[in-house]
Amino acid sequence: MHIIATFEYSTSLELALSELENTGIPKKKITAFPLDKRVEPGKLFDSMHQSDGISLFDLAAVFGAIFMLLGTIYGYVLKLGPILWGLFGLIFGLLLGFLIDYTIYKRKLGKKIKQNKKEKISEVVIIIECKDHELEKTEKILWSHAALGLCKVSTPRNSGSSFRI
Amino acid sequence: MKTKRLVTNYSQRRTIHHSASYHDNLITYRNPWVVAWWTAALPGFGHLMLCKYITGFILFAWEVFVNVNAGINAAIVYSMIGDFEAAKEILDPNWLFFYAGVYVFAIWDSYRRTVDLNRLYVLAYRENSPLAPFKISSLEINYLNKRKPWVTVIFSAFAPGLGYLYINRLPSAFFTIIWWVIIVYFSRFNEAVLYTMIGDYSGAIAILDPQWLLFIPSLYVFSMFDSYSYTVELNKVFEKEQANYLQKFYQCNPSETLTNLNEF
Repeated sequence: MHIIATFEYSTSLELALSELENTGIPKKKITAFPLDKRVEPGKLFDSMHQSDGISLFDLAAVFGAIFMLLGTIYGYVLKLGPILWGLFGLIFGLLLGFLIDYTIYKRKLGKKIKQNKKEKISEVVIIIECKDHELEKTEKILWSHAALGLCKVSTPRNSGSSFRI
Repeated sequence: MKTKRLVTNYSQRRTIHHSASYHDNLITYRNPWVVAWWTAALPGFGHLMLCKYITGFILFAWEVFVNVNAGINAAIVYSMIGDFEAAKEILDPNWLFFYAGVYVFAIWDSYRRTVDLNRLYVLAYRENSPLAPFKISSLEINYLNKRKPWVTVIFSAFAPGLGYLYINRLPSAFFTIIWWVIIVYFSRFNEAVLYTMIGDYSGAIAILDPQWLLFIPSLYVFSMFDSYSYTVELNKVFEKEQANYLQKFYQCNPSETLTNLNEF
């Protein structure tokens, strides 16, 4: 009997593994396949623009500070004073920077940005070899530790496999 | 006698992450122009972005000290609103001439270091030296974990420095909190906020000190940006460390597992 489950990288994944070992499934019956993410050294210099969204804040922060500064300065001669104009400048700069970055990356990546944001991505695949009577317990532990998906591969006499995702 | 080393094995030469119970230091890929720009906003920020804290703290203190004595920020405000006489009046040449050399050096240095560190990051990343996920000392605890980047931004927006506390970067946190208090106090920012909120705009202008006020935009936005980007980077380190761990301890015979699976 095999159980295949997917997880995000997380502390609960390690809790799940240690709990499985506590219930008597030996370490060597558990195999983990951590999936490579997009951030690889080879592609490093492009990968800043991907899923982590960090570069969507780069220009926003730069423009936010510049326009907040300008708003503060010209607030001295404008009607509402430096505080409010500083605030307007900050909001304007943040939005402007974000929109420019967003349009550039959207053009570059197409629909990828949207997909990455909406879905939880499987990052680790766990395969556990267990006996039939351990199945229910194992499954329960996996689900209760934020498994993203789970698949049971049964022995041949049951002929076939059952999927649950 | 056993000496304490950053990297104990001689075959390991570089690492992307070093943790203490009060701080995570790391190198990562940065856009050199963004770093240079932050140094231009306030000397010291670029070096803080690169996790060069001693350089950053000293440059920042130098900047505030010389800027305040020379009256540069106030002169910037007067020049930009067209009052050039007042700008000349407020500048103190005795202090002003210290400024340019260090200012330009700081920008150039942060740019060049970013380029260096980007190259070293590639080497260190590929070398894949062991990363420490957990540190405890007599007074503090620090651990790698998945944290939400936008939470840091929101807390930093409430009070600069809180975002750093959330990701356990204590030197940054106390640096930001202390300077924020000093700058807000001398600029009379809080009183000006009060005047602005009750609609007395000329009262706000009268009480604000432009010399100190001009530090606020950079410090405020930088604390949000920097704590955000380090949350993202620390999440990446967490994932890398966990992936390394799983590969080491949970792959005793991966191809056999897959073959067994195939037989069913």
